[in-house]
Amino acid sequence: MKRSSIFARRHSELDVKMTPMIDVVFLLLIFFVWTASFQIVEQVLPSNLTAASGSQPSVDSQPPPPESDFDDIVIKVHWNAASQTPSWEVNDTSLDSLANVRDRLKTIGSIKRDAPIFILPDEDAPMLHVIDVYDAARLEQFPKVNLAIRDRE
Amino acid sequence: MQVPTQLNSGEVDFNMTPMIDVVFLLIIFFLVSSHLAKQEAQLELPLPTADSGETPVEANAPRVTVNVLADGTIKLAGKVTPANQLQARLTRKREDEGDDLEVRIRTDQTVPFRQFEPIMLACTRAGIWNVKIAVHRRQDVGR
Repeated sequence: MKRSSIFARRHSELDVKMTPMIDVVFLLLIFFVWTASFQIVEQVLPSNLTAASGSQPSVDSQPPPPESDFDDIVIKVHWNAASQTPSWEVNDTSLDSLANVRDRLKTIGSIKRDAPIFILPDEDAPMLHVIDVYDAARLEQFPKVNLAIRDRE
Repeated sequence: MQVPTQLNSGEVDFNMTPMIDVVFLLIIFFLVSSHLAKQEAQLELPLPTADSGETPVEANAPRVTVNVLADGTIKLAGKVTPANQLQARLTRKREDEGDDLEVRIRTDQTVPFRQFEPIMLACTRAGIWNVKIAVHRRQDVGR
């Protein structure tokens, strides 16, 4: 009788208790879900701060323009509130697509890569389109890309 | 009457499971609290997209984040800040943190430029030149 009772106790010690295991598994699950990142990777664009001055940009002539016209490259970003569409001007030459702006910058870059670029957005222009132009200029590897800031006070 | 034997005292075994439970709960607690501390930089915003963005260097350099929400609300270090108080607060921040203070501007892509301008202007006037604009990689957003 005594021997059999020992066997019974040993047998009961081998029971696998599921509850604490489920506890730990759930905690591990929460831990990994929490630490996993579902956010989109964020990057940064360095900026050059420039207050707008009274100097006027030089007027562009027929392509290929002379180098002297690229002392300052002024890109204006216009915003048509009625049609909710942007338009662009590179040194007073109107352009209707961002691709054309890129082509224009490529041409200018092939003539004078170190020309400083000033971006002058309309006050209503969404940041999306402002950054598009800023990005396009940086992609063409212009060393000085400036966002012109106006003091409206 | 049953006398306590040595065998009985030897049965006090050390149960690891509740200890693991508690340790994990503590880990989760610290994770959550550190996550909340980083919330200001992780406020979900549809940022503008760019191809020329740089991966930010998460160094120990001081940094302050300015979030611009779609309705034009400006949040400086997590607190709603009127545009006319930005300069004073950024100046104080620069005096506290030093001249290498970085201002990271996270703006909703639909925000008009006129709501972004005062932030840049305030940075200039506060003597902060290390200003960075947060963007999403175009390939991640698919635009």
